Amino acid sequence: MAQNAPAVAAQRKPKKQKQSQFSGMSKALVRRETISAYLFLLPSLFFFVAFVVIPMVICVVYSFLEYGIGGVQGFAGFDNYLRLLQDEVFHAGLRNTILIVVVAVPTVTAFSLWVSSAIYKMHAFPRSFFRCVFYLPVVTGSVAITVVWKWILDPYNGLLNQVAGTNGMDWLGTQSTALWFIILILFTTSIGQPIVLYVAALGNVDQSLIEAAQVDGATKLQVFWKIKWPQIMPTTLYVLVITTINSFQCFALIQLLTRGGPLNSTMTIMYQVYYTAYTLQDFGYANAIGVVLAIIIAIFSAIQFKVAKTD
Amino acid sequence: MSTNPAAVKVKKTDLSGTSTGYKVFAAVILILVALFFLFPLYWIVTGSFKDAIEINARYPIWFPQNPTLDNYLRLLEHPALRWLFNIVFISVAAMVLTCLTASLAGYALGKKRFIGRGVLFTIIICAMALPKQVIVIPLLQEMTFFGLNNNIWAVILPTVGWPFGVFLMKQFSETVPTEIMEAARVDGAGELRTFFSVVFPMIKPGVGALAIFTFVNTWNDYFLQLVMLQGDEMAYTLPLGISNLQGEMSSDFGLIMAGAALAAVPIIIVFIAFQKYFTQGIAMGAVKG
Amino acid sequence: MNMKKPLALLLAAGMTLGLAACGGGTQGSSETPPGSSNAPASETSSGGAVELNLWSFNIGGFTDAAAWEPIVAAFNEANPDITVTVTPINYQDGDQKLTTAISSNSAPDIIFEGPERIVGNYAREGLMVDLSDLWTAGGSDIAEGISSVSQLDGTYYMYPLSVAAHCMAINYEAFEAAGALQYIDEETRTWTTDDFVAAMGAIRDAIADGTLNLATPGIIYCGAQGGDQGTRALVNNLYSDYFVNDDGTSYNINSANNVKALELLRGMVDDGSLSANASYAASQELQAFANQTCAVSFCWNYSNYVQYAEQTQFTPFAMAFPSDDGQPELEMAGPYGFGIFDNGDEAKIEAAKKFIQFVCDDQTAGTEAVKVTGFFSVHADWGDIYEGDADADLRAPFALMSDYLGRYYNLTGGWTEQRNLWWQFLAEIMTTDAGSDIQTAADEYVSEANANIG
Repeated sequence: MAQNAPAVAAQRKPKKQKQSQFSGMSKALVRRETISAYLFLLPSLFFFVAFVVIPMVICVVYSFLEYGIGGVQGFAGFDNYLRLLQDEVFHAGLRNTILIVVVAVPTVTAFSLWVSSAIYKMHAFPRSFFRCVFYLPVVTGSVAITVVWKWILDPYNGLLNQVAGTNGMDWLGTQSTALWFIILILFTTSIGQPIVLYVAALGNVDQSLIEAAQVDGATKLQVFWKIKWPQIMPTTLYVLVITTINSFQCFALIQLLTRGGPLNSTMTIMYQVYYTAYTLQDFGYANAIGVVLAIIIAIFSAIQFKVAKTD
Repeated sequence: MSTNPAAVKVKKTDLSGTSTGYKVFAAVILILVALFFLFPLYWIVTGSFKDAIEINARYPIWFPQNPTLDNYLRLLEHPALRWLFNIVFISVAAMVLTCLTASLAGYALGKKRFIGRGVLFTIIICAMALPKQVIVIPLLQEMTFFGLNNNIWAVILPTVGWPFGVFLMKQFSETVPTEIMEAARVDGAGELRTFFSVVFPMIKPGVGALAIFTFVNTWNDYFLQLVMLQGDEMAYTLPLGISNLQGEMSSDFGLIMAGAALAAVPIIIVFIAFQKYFTQGIAMGAVKG
Repeated sequence: MNMKKPLALLLAAGMTLGLAACGGGTQGSSETPPGSSNAPASETSSGGAVELNLWSFNIGGFTDAAAWEPIVAAFNEANPDITVTVTPINYQDGDQKLTTAISSNSAPDIIFEGPERIVGNYAREGLMVDLSDLWTAGGSDIAEGISSVSQLDGTYYMYPLSVAAHCMAINYEAFEAAGALQYIDEETRTWTTDDFVAAMGAIRDAIADGTLNLATPGIIYCGAQGGDQGTRALVNNLYSDYFVNDDGTSYNINSANNVKALELLRGMVDDGSLSANASYAASQELQAFANQTCAVSFCWNYSNYVQYAEQTQFTPFAMAFPSDDGQPELEMAGPYGFGIFDNGDEAKIEAAKKFIQFVCDDQTAGTEAVKVTGFFSVHADWGDIYEGDADADLRAPFALMSDYLGRYYNLTGGWTEQRNLWWQFLAEIMTTDAGSDIQTAADEYVSEANANIG
């Protein structure tokens, strides 16, 4: 990876100046290149346009309709969007989604960084053992992990209550605890990838810089913040992006454990789209929620890309 | 990735009392957390061999006392092997198609200069984070329109359409030196031959990374499977089948754990066997421009 | 699975782009666009043969496609050109499956369910076919109460097969061990509200002193809407009130008697003679009952009895819901019957009607079908179809329940929305530590539910 970096940088430089993309190319060459480029892009673009772009456009159209299982009843204007302002379920969903992201993203990032720093200097066997263990919930699959947690947390037959002696405690059925268990399970399924990334990134940190700093009497903490941290910054940003997307998108956990309950305490915007469409049978409104969700995520991504660029 | 001899030397120079204490502390925490991560898997596998009495016991039974295959036999009363086949087929097909289309497209975006390139790339970046839930209603209608209702291709095709792969392959293609391509062209190779004989071999590690990504993500994409396949029991995937067993009136944990084990164990074995490629692939996936 | 599908898709690319060009397409509306959803399925119908899709909720013994096989086979003997494919669905996520299918114009041709969905939801949305001709042909001996709930504004949308009553069940041996059998009338299978409170208290004490190895006396499930008829009936019967007011213009859970019932239940939850679980749906409560985790189930009927018969290591004893005057009024289970989704294909509709007539009106086939549900025929002329059967004894308690049938109110406007509010309302008043004021919460629930009643 390290040896790839200069090549990437070299390739990118000329493209930084926008106008000069075609400098030194004749018009005929530009045309020929354009045609051949689109031929290469065609298969991929077909799938992208057919199954992402077109549904997205239709989704926006639907969001302005009064549309349920009885078909389209009429044009709703901005009514579906205005409903969002007064919809307590949506507000709960927004709150919970933000809470999940705000809690899960930093803890996943910090904890995976800690684990990686603890294991990356280990011998090959323990290192790959730990890396493997933390990655297992990812490959095991969200549904398998979710159903076993459902059993562990069952109020009457669940292991947690049996071990903790809290007979009958309904962890997933209590407003104050349900969301925290969702976050905990999300945490266990989110941490594998960041650890793999961090172990690789830390292994690539320039050792001569660390040695030089230590000769100068730098403490471990100083070495970490002054030398390692800047060098693993791109990895950190990437981890932040994928963890944020993961946290936004957790669906199986909620569908199989709580269905948004109790009393919307685990409702997320993501789940509300599904729930509004297929339980409440209100497709117009569901699409409006979806559009708002897409905008929120676009803003998040834009901010993260901005941060990535300035670094 | 290999252990660095320099690191060992450094450790000696700054080894202090607190550092040893910290190391013990770290090791203990690591092992505890590792046990916590392994436990659900252990509970799935042992649970799948417990009989009804042990499953419903109101005190912990750490290991099945009367191991039974009953749960698996009951699982096989459902078309569970068909479900397993479906999810494997979906994941492999999505993987192959994604790798093929994305490497072609990524090469064009990364190495060619053409009209509309900037706009296209921006759209792809924007669409990458878009959750499938947002577009599910029109997407499902589209699949019905194509006659793919409750057909496993209804899961495969949208997965291939997701633009992350294109983005990843663009990053990899950019590392291919232009001179090599020029040389091939001078030798009279056409566009496609240049791609397959020169570019593709050079971006192979990237394709491998994308393959692993796509396979795991497709396997775990419960949402798309739920919406697209729920109308026909023979089109279910194993995750969807398990969740359906849980939803039915006779939800019992022994049966569900057998299903979970059937879903988890094969892919875990694949993972452990190819662990090196998995981890390298994932790490490579993070190469960003 | 067809490998040619991707090729077909490539060909369809042009169509897709065309679709986008005409403004995003309204192919989601209920009118079937020409050549869309039915295209693949109807390729057979041009040749004279018709292919029908039947989605069957798990009613009685109809828990899987195999249960339908003999009936479909008998039908095919008379109608070899009609094939019927059965897809079983369940109450946990059947609604979502149907909505998903309807949203994408791939609704089944026939649905087997009760009036609350067929008439109250789908017919109201204009999705169902008028079945009045079936009623004219064979419905003369069907009771008024059943015919009145099979129609909407004078048009019939459902044709019924069988009818029964929902009830509850107790673990007989557990009640015996706790000395709680004194509180029930084993003859009539009824008990008063006071008896119920006393019995559940006795179970709680027996669990506490170790006589009984159960986790809790009973579970009020409020984690999803499936099986909500049980919790509704429990509340309504305790002080003999109704879920909807007399003229069907308002939901009624905030009435003095219903609030009193809710307060009683809340008190029982607080003193441990019941539990309330927002993570439990009816299916989990039933499983808990079968596992001897709890001593009663509020979601019982003959079909659950059959389904759990293998697992239960005790005698599940069917009981009516407790009532202050000892006169229970049970919610009707069903009537269960058929509706036809209007998919715009006349040949399919005709074939579907033929199938429904065969299953419901042919006495041989009809008797078989009713027996699979385990309920009772809607045809008065057929008499007691179970007479002389070996398992008549097992069905007797459920036959008894039919005497306690109450009003059918599941067609009240806004029923679908109401159901979604109900379990959340129960969770709010039963499981929150704050202990919300029940009257206030009930008023709020009624005003929200009434918003859709019009």
